[in-house]
Amino acid sequence: MSADLAFAPVADLARMIARKEVSPVEVVRVHLERIAALDATLRAYITVCDEAALAAARAAESALAAGRPVGALHGVPVALKDLYDTAGVRTTGGSKILADRVPEADATVVRRLKEAGAIVLGKLHMVEFAYGPEGLNAHHGAPRNPWDAAAARMPGGSSSGSGVAVAAGLAPAALGSDTGGSIRIPASLCGITGLKPTYGRVSRAGVLPLAWSMDHVGPMTRTVADSALLLRVMAGYDPADATTSVLPVPDYLAALSGDVKGLRVGLLRSFFLESATPEVRAAVETAAKALEKAGAILDEVALPAVAHVGAASYAVVASEALAYHTGWLKSRPTDYDPEVRKRLQLGAFITGAHYVRGQQVRALVRNEVDAALARRDVLLAPATPLTAPRLDERQTTLGDGPSEVRGALIRLTRPFNFSGHPACAVPCGFSTGGLPIGMQLVGRPFDEATVLRAADAYQRLTDWHTRRPVLA
Amino acid sequence: MDAVFDLATLRGAARVAGFTWTDEELEALRPVIQASLRLLATLDTLPLDAVEPTTQYRIL
Repeated sequence: MSADLAFAPVADLARMIARKEVSPVEVVRVHLERIAALDATLRAYITVCDEAALAAARAAESALAAGRPVGALHGVPVALKDLYDTAGVRTTGGSKILADRVPEADATVVRRLKEAGAIVLGKLHMVEFAYGPEGLNAHHGAPRNPWDAAAARMPGGSSSGSGVAVAAGLAPAALGSDTGGSIRIPASLCGITGLKPTYGRVSRAGVLPLAWSMDHVGPMTRTVADSALLLRVMAGYDPADATTSVLPVPDYLAALSGDVKGLRVGLLRSFFLESATPEVRAAVETAAKALEKAGAILDEVALPAVAHVGAASYAVVASEALAYHTGWLKSRPTDYDPEVRKRLQLGAFITGAHYVRGQQVRALVRNEVDAALARRDVLLAPATPLTAPRLDERQTTLGDGPSEVRGALIRLTRPFNFSGHPACAVPCGFSTGGLPIGMQLVGRPFDEATVLRAADAYQRLTDWHTRRPVLA
Repeated sequence: MDAVFDLATLRGAARVAGFTWTDEELEALRPVIQASLRLLATLDTLPLDAVEPTTQYRIL
């Protein structure tokens, strides 16, 4: 029963709790027990809110007993990447600089989750200030990928703890953030679902920034349906974030029909499939065929401008990150992880003209993705071109030649941070070494419903998302 | 041919950006700065003159 509850989908937990088939106290306790048993090895959590979570669970139980109306996530535990402000609970950004920072208010999305009845289990490990895709952290140590914890493989980052916690049954759902792929990379490497919504769909208010114009926040879950459920709660206009849209938030769960007949899917071969390792390429091609067999209309499409995203997004991210960190970089330089400090320092050698060039390329990429989606409903590509590398691995070989691991990890996700389109990563296979392989589906702006419908339909055709890592 | 920047140039550029970094730090950064400037120079080769930069995001 304990393992079943730990790996039960959010939707099932919410339903069972609402029907009083299971107590929210039991659900929270099961997760706290797993955290106590496994997290010394996996290192998913920076802060566990055990007493507060149990108190909230008891209150949730009382509300049900009293017959009070409850929200969509009533009694369901969730965990948060440690860059979401939480009132009264420290929010470190994975850093030494903010090690003792305790916000007075919740981030908007945290408040919305709580209003829907969710219970915060704790705060999750992350790359310092979200600046890196491997999942490394010099201050707190790196979380371990649960699919091969013994070999110390990367969980992916920067939402490293979020990926590990959800994959290992230490939380039914987590929130991550994604500036170059930081939701989809750990989702891909840890074998879970990760949704980066459209820029402007979900409020970033109260979330520590890396690069304002590239940052997206979203859910990380084991099923697409659970991401749909969380997105419905999280999304919508927020006066505290001027970039949020006033478009109404649809019922994403209702969009999950399981039907992909006539859905037009554009397979991204050039740059995307071509750079993947043979195992990743084969898994994504097989997934494309599965969708086609289910009635989708498959073709191939190219996005030539993405070849320039590396340079252009570097100009944008490094400039924005330096702008945010200038004060601490001057006053507390030695409190940064040296690698993160170096990345920030490089921003000082980027000119305003470079930044604008980057934004020009951004317009090209956005227009190109829009054009590809004018005649298709979704685009399909690997989420990462490789499976989880070892923590000490710095160089790798991709389908198109040697590459630094860091660049390889963000290569296929970053274009859609740059363009702002919604993208959902889901598991689509396992390597011969037993490591998860992830693919991503990309959709039109604010059309998360179609992205989620396609991804959910794929999960109804396959069982990759139901597999669990073997943990000691 | 890549431009090669000496320490004095990097020191000056850092100061313009508001930072005073040691020569040791700048020396360690120098190869990475060279690589990043090489990367950024690729943007100058693109036909972007007629492209309006994304200055306002697509908010509906």
